[in-house]
Amino acid sequence: MSFWFWHGLKKGVRSTHYPREFESAAGVSPGRPVATEFDSAAEAVVAAANCPADAIVARGSAAEVKLERCIYCQHCHYGNSHLLEWHSDYEWTMAVPGRGKYQPLPTAYHRSLHVIVVDAGDCGACLHEVKQLNNPLYNMHRLGIFLTATPRAADVLLVVGPVSENMRVPLLKTYEAMPAPKRILAVGACAINGGVFGRTFMSAGGVASVLPVDLLVPGDPPPPLAILHGLLAVTGRKSPVLQAASSEGNS
Amino acid sequence: MIDPWIGGALALFFILCACGVVLTAATRGVYPLRALLVFSSACSVLMMFASAAALASGHSFAIDLWSLEGWGRFSIRLDMLSAIFLFAAGLVYLPASLFVRNLVEVRFRGRYPMRRYGVLHFALMASVVLILVANDAPLFLISWECMSVLCYFLVNYEQSARTDIRAGYIMLVMSEAGFLAALVAFLILGRGTPDWSFSSLAGMAQHLSGSAVWGVFLLGFLGFGVKAGLVPVNFWLPRSYTAAPAVFVPVFAGVTLNLGFYGILRLDAQLMSNHSVGTGLFALVTGSITALVGILYATTENDLKKMLAHSSIENAGIIVAAVGASLVFHASGHAVAAAIALTAALYHMVNHSVYKTLLFQGVGEVEAATGTREMDRLGGLARLLPGLSVVFLVGCLSISAIPPFNGFVSEWLTLQCLLRSAVLLSSAVKVLFALCGACLALTAALAVTCFVKVYAMSFLGIRRGDWRHGPGQAGRTQFPLAYLAVACLLLGILPTYVIPVLNRAVEPLAGASAAASLVPPFFSATPENQQLPPAFVDDFHNLGAQTGRHVLPGRGLVVLVRGSEKNPVVFAMSTSYSFVALAIFLLVTWFVATRGSRQRSVTRHELWAGGIPRLLPEMTYTATGFSNPVRVVFQAIFRPNIVEDSRETVAVHFRTAILRRRDETHFVDRLLFHPVGEAVGWLARLLAGMHHGRLNAYVAYTLAFLLIILVLFRLS
Ligand code: SF4
Repeated sequence: MSFWFWHGLKKGVRSTHYPREFESAAGVSPGRPVATEFDSAAEAVVAAANCPADAIVARGSAAEVKLERCIYCQHCHYGNSHLLEWHSDYEWTMAVPGRGKYQPLPTAYHRSLHVIVVDAGDCGACLHEVKQLNNPLYNMHRLGIFLTATPRAADVLLVVGPVSENMRVPLLKTYEAMPAPKRILAVGACAINGGVFGRTFMSAGGVASVLPVDLLVPGDPPPPLAILHGLLAVTGRKSPVLQAASSEGNS
Repeated sequence: MIDPWIGGALALFFILCACGVVLTAATRGVYPLRALLVFSSACSVLMMFASAAALASGHSFAIDLWSLEGWGRFSIRLDMLSAIFLFAAGLVYLPASLFVRNLVEVRFRGRYPMRRYGVLHFALMASVVLILVANDAPLFLISWECMSVLCYFLVNYEQSARTDIRAGYIMLVMSEAGFLAALVAFLILGRGTPDWSFSSLAGMAQHLSGSAVWGVFLLGFLGFGVKAGLVPVNFWLPRSYTAAPAVFVPVFAGVTLNLGFYGILRLDAQLMSNHSVGTGLFALVTGSITALVGILYATTENDLKKMLAHSSIENAGIIVAAVGASLVFHASGHAVAAAIALTAALYHMVNHSVYKTLLFQGVGEVEAATGTREMDRLGGLARLLPGLSVVFLVGCLSISAIPPFNGFVSEWLTLQCLLRSAVLLSSAVKVLFALCGACLALTAALAVTCFVKVYAMSFLGIRRGDWRHGPGQAGRTQFPLAYLAVACLLLGILPTYVIPVLNRAVEPLAGASAAASLVPPFFSATPENQQLPPAFVDDFHNLGAQTGRHVLPGRGLVVLVRGSEKNPVVFAMSTSYSFVALAIFLLVTWFVATRGSRQRSVTRHELWAGGIPRLLPEMTYTATGFSNPVRVVFQAIFRPNIVEDSRETVAVHFRTAILRRRDETHFVDRLLFHPVGEAVGWLARLLAGMHHGRLNAYVAYTLAFLLIILVLFRLS
């Protein structure tokens, strides 16, 4: 006989208090590179050249980061030289550049948000992180966020993966089948701009090339709390923290 | 007096039947069809009129016809039991007659002679009525025989396939065997009787010994059970229902099936008041098994007509189980419980006639419109035949015992009376009752599965087949079907008016009245009413049972089963009130959804099918898939013979085609008839050893036989 009930009582609440308190447990987030001031412009250029994903841009002596392009290779974190500073937060949901200010869902959705997740050719990493939202630690249900299997009941379309050719039509159909108002949340570097897959004959190179994306959650993969922040941002309970650089095309 | 009216109606009925026979046989062109339509409808109205008059007045109509040398006196008598069956028959015959025109035009035109059909139709009608009103064994048996043979002709009317002809033969053989069994039962019963009228046979029954009672009971039960479709003598039923023309099947299911129950009730319940508990238990167990086997095969069957045939078997089982319960209660001296059980049986019989006719006609209509009865090829019919889909839904709801439709009332009553086994003394009997109750509950649950499947797979979803016809002929049959649907609803929401009528037939059989305890006169509860003490009525008054007592006529609108003093439980149900509540809820919901809420916009999108690019009909949920869980769970009963064959390209993993064939032998065939057949074959082979063709040996046989005879004579 298992005493799971008793164990549960004994252990008490282990869920994060995230939106209320900042969760600082070790390992909840890989952090993110942030703009770093170098000694000279030349060093900034070297730092930018070190990034395989063109996520670092040298501007004067500073190296700026376009987080939406970052594939978390960690070269600029654990590499040999020209390292960037890393922040250990996880609230980095972005509004889409060129689409104006994000219009959150009405307040009725604050505590009742139904999410449909579409795996548009994802490698499994982002999907795995999305799945963590269901576990007792992150427990998104306490925030009134639920996964649903049918688009008819969904308010948010959460897309992971670069939109492979085979998933393009299902993705479009899912979006069409959703009732208004509806929002699209692109999770992970692939869903934002194709990530390591880029744009090829079998990959559309990001959700934005087929559907009007509302918010982006960078990361490869983003940690669960970043995704949770994204979902809270969809309802307007949090606001998107970063603005994607306006020069950046999302294709 | 009411007598001349009933007599007149019956006489007119037979005259019109004769006219119908003559007119359909003698005219040509469109006239046979018109004669069929008009005369048959008039006849069914007369049937209903005569029986309604008898039921309303509570007065049996009897008349002596004539005496035949050696046969005794022929007489007819329309008593309450006959009247109920006659009314049910009329109820079914009317829509069936109106329906004739449509289907006959579709199926028969240019292929089969219309006139012959008309003659058979009227002859069958007359023989059915004769069976129901016969008051003596010879008339009854002669009409029964006529009915059997006419059924055979009608089933084989189309003769479209070899299997159909075979099905007809099997049916004829089984009915003849049943007839002979019933004949023997009557002969045992009437040994030494001065005349063969039912009343003097009932007198003879008093002097039968125990074993003779068992003999008569078993012979009659199995003999009439052939028509009623009881296990183990029902294997003809699905085959011949499938073979019979669509015009005839409603009559087959709604009228002749009932004749089986009529026979059982006539012989067993009325002629033999000296039943033992054992005979009742036999009927109860047989009925329960029949119901379960019937619904199991119905659930897994994909042919609409065959499925309905199996479901008829199921309903027959329920009815016979209730009759059995009634016999047990009667034998153990609980007259009121016996009356309740018998009421349930009769109620279910009437209900079954109504909704089964509706469903069979619906299937006929579907077949006429699409050319197929395979559920796996149908689908999406709701869009093609919107009117039919509504009435068919009513039929499905009724048969799966969903309130407020009629099936619910009678199945509720049947289960309730099985629960009343607490009053019985023997614990073995109680256990059997409980087991049968569980069986019937399982049956009811499976019936829901079965009819969800039927409706969802044929009427909902997307169109699966490549159908022959368009919706051309639909529409003309809406009226008879709507009439049956309304009958389903009325029988469902007004049981308090139906039960007192049924009680008139039940009272003389069970020796007690069920109406007083089933539908107590709440509206006029008086202190001297023993059944319902005022305190008890007050309790119910507080529960709202007397709401509207000044507006509503009739007895209380509550059906009630009261426990004994030892077991003071009250089971009460009111479909009338729940119907009103349901209507109010629906109205309020509708109002809130359309008016009461804020403005909302409705957008229509294409069907959501999981985002797949193209939804092919083959991809949708099939009837086979839906019923597969049942098939798997009850594998031990079905014992299928599965042959799987696959074609591969490169290696075994790359299959290009899988062929899976599944053969089933019906449970009863497998357990009973095949072993018997094999035994007979074995015996024949054994005897054939003697027939080797040598003349000397045959002469020796004769000599030996002669010697044996002589020795025997000498010894005696
Ligand atoms: S982690 Fe890798 S991809 Fe991301 S900014 Fe640093 S170097 Fe570029």
